[in-house]
Amino acid sequence: MSAGQTESKPAQHHLRRNPPIVGEAEAIAAAQAGDEKAFETLYALHKRRVYSLCLRMLGNVAAAEDLTQDAFLQLYRKIGTFRGDSAFSTWLHRLAVNVVLMHLRKKGLPQISLEEALEPSQDDGPRKDIGARDLRLSGSIDRVTLERAVENLPPGYRLVFVLHDVEGYEHNEIADMLSCSIGNSKSQLHKARMKLRDLLRTGQRKEAAV
Amino acid sequence: MTEKNPQEPTMTDCADFQDRLPELFETNANLSDEEHLKHCENCTALVRDLEYIAQQAKLLLPIHDPSPTVWDNIRSAIKNDATQNSTSSSARSAT
Repeated sequence: MSAGQTESKPAQHHLRRNPPIVGEAEAIAAAQAGDEKAFETLYALHKRRVYSLCLRMLGNVAAAEDLTQDAFLQLYRKIGTFRGDSAFSTWLHRLAVNVVLMHLRKKGLPQISLEEALEPSQDDGPRKDIGARDLRLSGSIDRVTLERAVENLPPGYRLVFVLHDVEGYEHNEIADMLSCSIGNSKSQLHKARMKLRDLLRTGQRKEAAV
Repeated sequence: MTEKNPQEPTMTDCADFQDRLPELFETNANLSDEEHLKHCENCTALVRDLEYIAQQAKLLLPIHDPSPTVWDNIRSAIKNDATQNSTSSSARSAT
């Protein structure tokens, strides 16, 4: 089967993951007016995605919960500044991404600036695949295997991959969240997928050798 | 000496194609029209894998919630914020 015969293209069939949520607009307005119950509603609506983003970026439940807490506290303090220029979930994700990046910087995990996070060193990056025959992925990849491979991506690649391919954000939204160009977001996504393929193939070769 | 098949892709062809690949994906170009893929098994496998990875990424949609303690902590931090705010505004109005 040629590539052209594959069943679908990722972008064409990519479902939007942040559709408008019923009751969200009312909850935002009420929370902006100081209604704590409305803020709890917003927490209930968005906690899973914010927590998952933190968990994927940190790989540690306790730290992910701490950062989820920080992100929502920041949300509480800043919700009055939300003007609806972008989707609320995009705005909140941007806030959560900043909390995660601040944490990574504080941890001194390789002094990580956003630019560095988005441009891993040459060693961490994917290679072009030229002339490496019969090294394609074989069989199916299960959730656990893919999850593990994503954990091993450099932080910048991981962030863009999770935001685009997992969460369904568009490149313009990601560029806005990460304060980078749309081209940069596209290029990081491609590199992330290439690097994931490398990681998955390496895993398969190791399994085959056992 | 075996003669080189003129249709056999060279490393430069593959590098050129792979340079264009991010844009081809993003514009939803019909990859079956790509001449290079008609002759290059390696890039065909690459494209198929990248499409597969993007599809499988949907398996990773969030499924876990944070523990209830997280909301408890947020709520008490909000209460602290409110207490501090009212204390400082009382102090301001007293002066």
